[in-house]
Amino acid sequence: MCILMKKVSCIFIVDDDPITVFGIKKMLKSVADCKDIQIFQNGKEAYDALIERQNLGKPIPEVIFLDINMPIMDGWDFLDEMIELNITEHVVINMITSSIDPLDYKKWADFKDRCPYILNFKNKPIFKIEPNDLGCITAAS
Amino acid sequence: MKAVERVDQFYLLKQLPKATALLCKEGNLLDASCSWLEIFGLPPINKKQKTQIFSLLPEVEDLIEKLQEAKSFNLRHEISLNNETRHLKSYFAPWFDEKENVIGTIVQTDDITSEVEKEEELNWLKNIMETKMEVSKTGWWEYEIDTEKLTWCKETKRIHQVPDCYEPTVIEAIEFYKSGYSQNKVSMLFHKAITDYQSYDTKVMIVTFNGEERWVRITGKPFIKEGKVAKIFGTIKDIHNQVIAEHRVKEHQQLLTTLVDSLPLNVYVKDLESRKVLVNKGECSYLHKKPEELIGKTDFDLYDREIAQISREEDIQVMKHLTPIIGKETVSCLNGKTTHFLTSKIPYFDLEGKVCGVIGMGLDITSMKKKQEELCDLIKITSMQNQKLISFAHIVSHNLRSHSANFSMLLGFLNSEKDQEERKRIIKMLTQASDNLLETLGNLNQVLDINTQESETKKTLNLKKSITGVLHNLSAFLENNDTQIINNVADDMVVKCVPTYLDSIILNLVSNAVKYKSPGRPPIITINAIKSDKGVLLSISDNGLGMDLDRYGDKIFGMYKTFHNREDAKGFGLYLIKNQIEAMGGSITVQSEVDKGTTFNVYFNEES
Repeated sequence: MCILMKKVSCIFIVDDDPITVFGIKKMLKSVADCKDIQIFQNGKEAYDALIERQNLGKPIPEVIFLDINMPIMDGWDFLDEMIELNITEHVVINMITSSIDPLDYKKWADFKDRCPYILNFKNKPIFKIEPNDLGCITAAS
Repeated sequence: MKAVERVDQFYLLKQLPKATALLCKEGNLLDASCSWLEIFGLPPINKKQKTQIFSLLPEVEDLIEKLQEAKSFNLRHEISLNNETRHLKSYFAPWFDEKENVIGTIVQTDDITSEVEKEEELNWLKNIMETKMEVSKTGWWEYEIDTEKLTWCKETKRIHQVPDCYEPTVIEAIEFYKSGYSQNKVSMLFHKAITDYQSYDTKVMIVTFNGEERWVRITGKPFIKEGKVAKIFGTIKDIHNQVIAEHRVKEHQQLLTTLVDSLPLNVYVKDLESRKVLVNKGECSYLHKKPEELIGKTDFDLYDREIAQISREEDIQVMKHLTPIIGKETVSCLNGKTTHFLTSKIPYFDLEGKVCGVIGMGLDITSMKKKQEELCDLIKITSMQNQKLISFAHIVSHNLRSHSANFSMLLGFLNSEKDQEERKRIIKMLTQASDNLLETLGNLNQVLDINTQESETKKTLNLKKSITGVLHNLSAFLENNDTQIINNVADDMVVKCVPTYLDSIILNLVSNAVKYKSPGRPPIITINAIKSDKGVLLSISDNGLGMDLDRYGDKIFGMYKTFHNREDAKGFGLYLIKNQIEAMGGSITVQSEVDKGTTFNVYFNEES
């Protein structure tokens, strides 16, 4: 099976854990062709960047890797604020968490229904970035 | 003239003190004493008008024959004069002349009216007595010492259930009494009546002729004649039914009293004015008073006005509407002690079915209440601890999971990585992950210690000294940040606290205040302490960044929650001291305003 390198214009990684960030970046190398990967330590930073991009007319990230537990503004709060922005572009958001709290899963299910974007739920550890995570429909089969 | 002569002749007769008359053989009145004429209401003797004795004694039919027999005899007769009937008794004797010839009759008359009346009265009294005896079922008896004769009246015989013809002896009479106490008592009393002239009146038991045992009341009274007892008179009355009824009433009373006294309740009965008319032991011991001190008292005499008023209103409600109050929870205060009661009040009816008061019952549920409260507290504590455990378990699982996930991921990379430089980087990351895990484990251990080491004993610590000590250790850090500390804590303020916890609490709150200072102004930290009923309140305020509590309020004391973008913010300090404070029974709250400052309030529990 061959996975094609997907071309992605912009990717946001929002996580306060440097090791996770390192891992995601490393895994992306082999599956995505992206020149613009932005790292944010919390939701607030990422949100501010989103607004800036919107204002400057820069491209909105196609893919966001979003941690849930973060200081200042956590993943859920970020999602809430982002939905308010009414971004019309196609965005894939991957919620990444080490939490196995069923409450988090339920919250994700609730958000999935009202979120206009693709919302994935990924439990750590992550070993591979699936094409799905980048918004691809598998070419094979 | 002749009449004058006659007056002379019979002058003697006329003057006789005893009413006397002379009759001729034919029964005509020849002459009479004045007193005789007065008895019969006759005028002085008039020769021309003949008065016959028969007309004076019309009821005596055979008087003519009797007079002719020339023998003396007695007669009782009556005469009605002026609507008054007099009883008379006349003695008739033949009148002889010098030659012993009967020439007439001498009549002597006595007025016996008063005797007859007395006799009648006596009969009447006898009658009354007999009726009385009969109605009251009281019999009498009489014993004559000389003749040793014992007489029982009819009723006495009836009481003994012997036939009317029965004539008892003293020994037999005494043997009717139940052997043992009754017989001994009667023998003794009877003996004393004779020897010591003592009357008696007592209740004893007889065994009747038919073998029935019955209670009787007997009396005896000696009659003394010439210095010694001539006879003894007494009565006997069958009081069996009364005694039995009395016994029954007494038994019922005893049962009721025992019941009411032994109930584990405070029982009282009040009249229409809410005056106590009955109290049981429980009520007495609750009020620390004797029954006689409580009877007649109202609640206003015993309790505070307010409580008494409530009680009185309840009483009125029960008596007015006749609806009982059942199992109402009430609070009573007596001498500053509060008691919880489960109170019931029911209307009390008299024999005619009219309400005449209330019956009250109070069950002391103070200890139950206390236990219930303790139980509630315990449940609260338990559920809180349970909540804490769950959240701790989540923290543990989440934090450990995140590290182990990193390990897995990095090891996966290492496995497939060929590039030496990249492998070195991955190994460096792994080391970092390991350090992080160790730190997390260390933190978790600290929290565990707080929550498990109950043995950490509280000591009375001088708050100001403790604060000064911590500030001294932080002096370099505080100086570097240009910090101004305003310590308003009184020199003698003390708190009960685990020493290391107190240092940790002060250290974390003060260093947080500096860490999250506003970039635009040097930090000012104000420390205050107030002593109240609940304990000591320590508050540490700053003029720093502040926080949006609407947003983070529920998370601020959570583990690994940070709200500011600072390198050294680990989100552990507040979680740790919250655990320490709560382990000591205290609490911590926060007030904050963005860009104004934050105040943390720590409440210390004074209990050991």
